[in-house]
Amino acid sequence: MANQPDSVQINVQGLSRSFAGIRALSLVSFSVKRGTIMSLIGPNGAGKSTLINVITGVHAPNSGRIHFDGEDIAGLSAHVIASKGIARTFQLEELFGSMTVLENAMTGCYGRSKSGVIASGFRFPSTRREEERVRKEGMDGLAMVGLDAKATEPISRLPLGERKLVGIARALCMKPSFLMLDEPAGGLAAHEVNRLVDLIHVLLGQGLTILLVEHNMPFVMSLSEKIIVLDAGVKIAEGSPDEVRNNERVVKAYLGEE
Amino acid sequence: MKSNRRFHLLWVFVVAGLALVPFVTSGTYITGVMCFVAFYATLACGMALLLHQAGLFSLAHPTFFGLGAYTAGILAARDLLPPWAGIIAAALVVAIVAYVIGAPLLRLSGYYLACATFGLLFIVEITLGQLGPITGGHDGLMDIPPLSFFGFTLQGDFHYYYVAWGLCLGCLWFFSNIMNSRIGRAIKAQHDSETAASCVGINVPRCKLHVFVLTAVTASMAGSLYCFYLEFAAPSMFGFPLLVELFTIVVIGGAATLYGPILGSIALMSIREAIHVHLKGVLPKMTAEVDAVFFGVLIVAILIFMPEGLVGTLDRLAHAGRRFLGKST
Repeated sequence: MANQPDSVQINVQGLSRSFAGIRALSLVSFSVKRGTIMSLIGPNGAGKSTLINVITGVHAPNSGRIHFDGEDIAGLSAHVIASKGIARTFQLEELFGSMTVLENAMTGCYGRSKSGVIASGFRFPSTRREEERVRKEGMDGLAMVGLDAKATEPISRLPLGERKLVGIARALCMKPSFLMLDEPAGGLAAHEVNRLVDLIHVLLGQGLTILLVEHNMPFVMSLSEKIIVLDAGVKIAEGSPDEVRNNERVVKAYLGEE
Repeated sequence: MKSNRRFHLLWVFVVAGLALVPFVTSGTYITGVMCFVAFYATLACGMALLLHQAGLFSLAHPTFFGLGAYTAGILAARDLLPPWAGIIAAALVVAIVAYVIGAPLLRLSGYYLACATFGLLFIVEITLGQLGPITGGHDGLMDIPPLSFFGFTLQGDFHYYYVAWGLCLGCLWFFSNIMNSRIGRAIKAQHDSETAASCVGINVPRCKLHVFVLTAVTASMAGSLYCFYLEFAAPSMFGFPLLVELFTIVVIGGAATLYGPILGSIALMSIREAIHVHLKGVLPKMTAEVDAVFFGVLIVAILIFMPEGLVGTLDRLAHAGRRFLGKST
């Protein structure tokens, strides 16, 4: 049942969230099919990042339901939601700045390893084996984004584009079934965007479900099967790239009233 | 792997050097001072881990040191448990106390956590002073027997030197293993970005609690050993002055590495002994006050001239030296 094609992976119903009386999300509903990519666009402040934060449990919703693989995950803690197979990247990187590139990726394997404080402190044989496995998986994750050659560099030495890729590698190390990318192409050079497109195709080929938040329209239009548009916390449109492009409300939201 | 081997070699040299100290120095003076260095270093290592790596601004470290000392001391002085079992019992008691206190307090962050734990420091010190019938009150806990296990009783600085340094290096080894494991990555991750850490599946509150309890337990073990070494414990030994000394050690040594506090405590104790020896003639009755003034000036000077502490400065000197010799890579 979990691997059924065409089944719904995540189903969001009537999601709302306010901050100090301001409605950042208002009754947002949508669903994403397994193994597909859906994009989320909207002007600045539309609530795109808030939606990701609510789905991943960084913020609890005020109301609404989030069914992931049939289970309601709304309001669970972020680390519990992560353990269900939901990974994300961040608009502002949020990498672990005191670590190397490889350690960042290895941290993504946290939920799939289990050595405790005592076992780690005394370096039990089981811990050493696990550490070896995690190191290999971290390298595999970096290889996916083409950064395995920079594994030992500290994060601060990397340019912005590569830092975004480290964020993706870290998320991939969680071996998620659902991945949310928050403006992955922001600040990337043209050739880096092309590489990102290739990577996303590879991930879709592996059966990953992806939710993409992005401002780069050609990038979004070329990748997405379905797009939803948020404006001021409300979903104003949903459909194929062509339908969205010609939607009057969308044009108005982006360009303003006549 | 080559640097790894060099690192192991360094360890062997350090351990061998420390093991020889009591033999190559005359009398027991240096050995005695080095016992104190070991206790302070054990404490400061835990505190640096807590402050620098985990970013938890907890000031209750001397409290757990004191609770470890008093628990083991009382159990042994009242003949309830043999001293070695008292160390284990104290570690368990402190672990439970740290867990119960940490669970609510660690929800606070930054200076709020510092304030709350600072309060704890005074509460415990005053309580120990007021519970006369159990703790011996402000006069201190007397009649603590020396440490003994399996019929062997530790006597004098010589024996305690090895046990204290064994504990210190053992803690250092344990901490360094932790920091190079998934637990260590979680500790650093939650310090760098709590949001990102929780989104990769790290239970941040539990991770903080783990570090807090772990460092409390090592402080407790050092405390238990300390009270058997002195055969005495008083509430004033575990209060604010100790906190200031620990801070000085961490600042002098540098908190970025785990071994920095060991260099820091060697430096602090050497400076203090030098002051006591040389100023005895000039200011016979003011040593404690002179200490306080001197450490204050020292902290300010170090923060200005070598903000990364001894380790950072030595590192930079080594780097400059290598470049001077033309071996820079």
